[in-house]
Amino acid sequence: MAPEEQVAAAMAPLSRRRFLRWSLLASSAAIGVGVGAASWLSRSEQDQLPLPDALQHLTQSEFLLFRRATEVLLPLSGTRLASIDTVPVLHNIDAMMGLLSQSVRKELAAGLAVFDYAALVSGWHGKRFIDLDSNEAVAYFDRWSQGNSVQRALATVIKKFVYVAYWRDPATWPAIEFDGPVSDRWGLPSLGNTPMPNETANVKKEGETQ
Amino acid sequence: MRIVTVPRDGVPVTDARSVVADPALGKNFAVQADVVVVGSGAGGSVVAYEMAKAGRKVLILEAGRYQPSANFTEHLGDTMTQIYRDQAAQFNTTADVLFVEGKCVGGSTVIGGCVMHQLSDKVLQGWSDKYGLKGFAPEKIKPTYDLVGKWLNVHVNEAHEINATAHKVIQGCERMGYAWKPVQRNVKRCALTGHCLAGCPSDRKMSALVSHLPWAAAHGARLFSDTQVTRALIKNGRVTGVEAVVRDPDTGNIVSNMRVDAGVVVFAGGTVQTPLLLQRSQIPDKSGQLGRNMTVQPFVQVMGKFKEPLYGFRGALVGVQVDEFLESDGIILASGLAEPEQLMVQGEQGAGDEHMEYMKSYKNMAGLNAFSLDEGHGSVEWKGGLLDGDKEIKWNPNRNEFAKIARSVSLASRIFFSAGAEKVWMPTFQKLAANNVFELDEQLAKVDYGINGMYTFRINTFHSHGTARMGADAYESVVNPNGEVHGVTGLYVADASLIPEPIGYAPQWTVQVMAKYVSDRIQEKSSSYFVS
Repeated sequence: MAPEEQVAAAMAPLSRRRFLRWSLLASSAAIGVGVGAASWLSRSEQDQLPLPDALQHLTQSEFLLFRRATEVLLPLSGTRLASIDTVPVLHNIDAMMGLLSQSVRKELAAGLAVFDYAALVSGWHGKRFIDLDSNEAVAYFDRWSQGNSVQRALATVIKKFVYVAYWRDPATWPAIEFDGPVSDRWGLPSLGNTPMPNETANVKKEGETQ
Repeated sequence: MRIVTVPRDGVPVTDARSVVADPALGKNFAVQADVVVVGSGAGGSVVAYEMAKAGRKVLILEAGRYQPSANFTEHLGDTMTQIYRDQAAQFNTTADVLFVEGKCVGGSTVIGGCVMHQLSDKVLQGWSDKYGLKGFAPEKIKPTYDLVGKWLNVHVNEAHEINATAHKVIQGCERMGYAWKPVQRNVKRCALTGHCLAGCPSDRKMSALVSHLPWAAAHGARLFSDTQVTRALIKNGRVTGVEAVVRDPDTGNIVSNMRVDAGVVVFAGGTVQTPLLLQRSQIPDKSGQLGRNMTVQPFVQVMGKFKEPLYGFRGALVGVQVDEFLESDGIILASGLAEPEQLMVQGEQGAGDEHMEYMKSYKNMAGLNAFSLDEGHGSVEWKGGLLDGDKEIKWNPNRNEFAKIARSVSLASRIFFSAGAEKVWMPTFQKLAANNVFELDEQLAKVDYGINGMYTFRINTFHSHGTARMGADAYESVVNPNGEVHGVTGLYVADASLIPEPIGYAPQWTVQVMAKYVSDRIQEKSSSYFVS
């Protein structure tokens, strides 16, 4: 499929949402023109990277997008924070994708493709998001965060996936001094079920003797 | 004297796995009951208990899975995946307003923040006068509030239940001259873990899981989890039971089809699910109000950063509230800061280094949740077939509501700046923050209403209500003052969808009171429904 068709196909289900219609029409036209004029720009060397076997729900292009987004959004080197090697961010994203309903999953796939390919013309980078260098990629996120409602939505969704996938892992908590689960550590006993208040005289708990 | 035995822990539940393993049930089976209750949360659990206590054969059907409290991990991410509806991703059609709801045995009582509000006398008198709900006049219904409150150990937070986040709110309010007060919560000997939203593993939160459900079971009620009711069966204007499917909670595959024959059906699936059930059941809706009038009580979280570490995520999740703006502006504020994952849904996160700096500030943060009263123009509609259809939730703020949310953010931010905050992050889809109170208005002015207020404020809702409103006039309401659906004998509703007009309070206590009230009305008419 030609790049412009990829983008158009990606846009189609997303445009079902009424609120997105006009802005998608506008942006798809711009992307279509841009991509059509320089379709070779949409190729990436990274397209050859194999999709890891462990990922069950991400497509190859989504894997590349989230891989790059993770590197850009979480600059962990030189910090005390848990490294990407110890936190399975992409695996967590893959698992979250698997939980989405079919309709939402389809719309998300379309949105992710838009985010990746729109970098060809949005900001005139002439390359996809996955090929932007770190500064360009952060600036791209920042620009979309201040953009129209579609751009804000997509930038937010991608960041949310990456950040939740990272910060949900207990390995990330010590660095920010979050305690995590405490009940076991504190030895809190379970209080169990509550007796029926109006019938206390008639009630006994299992195991209790008269 | 009859001895009723309450299990020490847990609730006896028949789940999908048990159904598959039971040869007596098989792929298609039928069950008989006097009363079938659909939903096991705040409303359903109360009805189940009351009916079972009265000697009725009660069956509770819950679409969510059973997660015993012993299995709670205090890990919000896991909990959301397991027992929040749509894995905590139930959105409106524009995907920018999040409807948070429990989908498990015990419903939203399991994952709530324990805040309990009574309606004011003025509101209750209004229900009586405007909607013909005479039974809800203050002098009649207040004793039921007292009773339910006593059962569920509702109490005003004591000093040790006010954490550092709440103290910052108090400090800010004192300087601004705003009134504040400790919230009332339904907790017994709170262990101050701060993990309310992930369920309470030591059974201190008085959720349905440790109160009405085991009590109902002790009186003989039977509970099926993983069981999604598709519709009520109605014949000649009288309900005869329900149809349901039992689904494997991990795969969603149907493992069995179920029919329940019952003279009384009580829908208690909550504000979103109950109107969908009624629509699928094709009830006669003379009023045209079914699924409409939804109040969402939009809520945003304002985050303040302070110089000193607060560890504001420790201690009781909700400490104090500021309700002096409820009457005048329809705004109520409540302190609260939860797990790191929760931060990701509150305000726009920067990218890269900026996000890292934000997260490093976590221990210095305090959160103030700003609820505002909307106008009740939301709707819920079922689209498509019984089993392959989907819900459509519509609500976006109108200009008045947008302005009210902005006002609530302004109030919360000023409280934090007065308490000494160095920075306040706006709960917006745009990346906005103010470094002092003088920048606040300028920052807030950047939030443009745009198209239907979409993707402006990061709106959540915990307290939606009103989609099957109660009233005496069948041309204006869906359910009569007894809780029975207009035009369908024996079909009742007992949840927040009954609430007849927008309220600015947390609804759980009121829902439980209404469920007790509806149960009493069913009992009064028992000779119409039950042979015995």
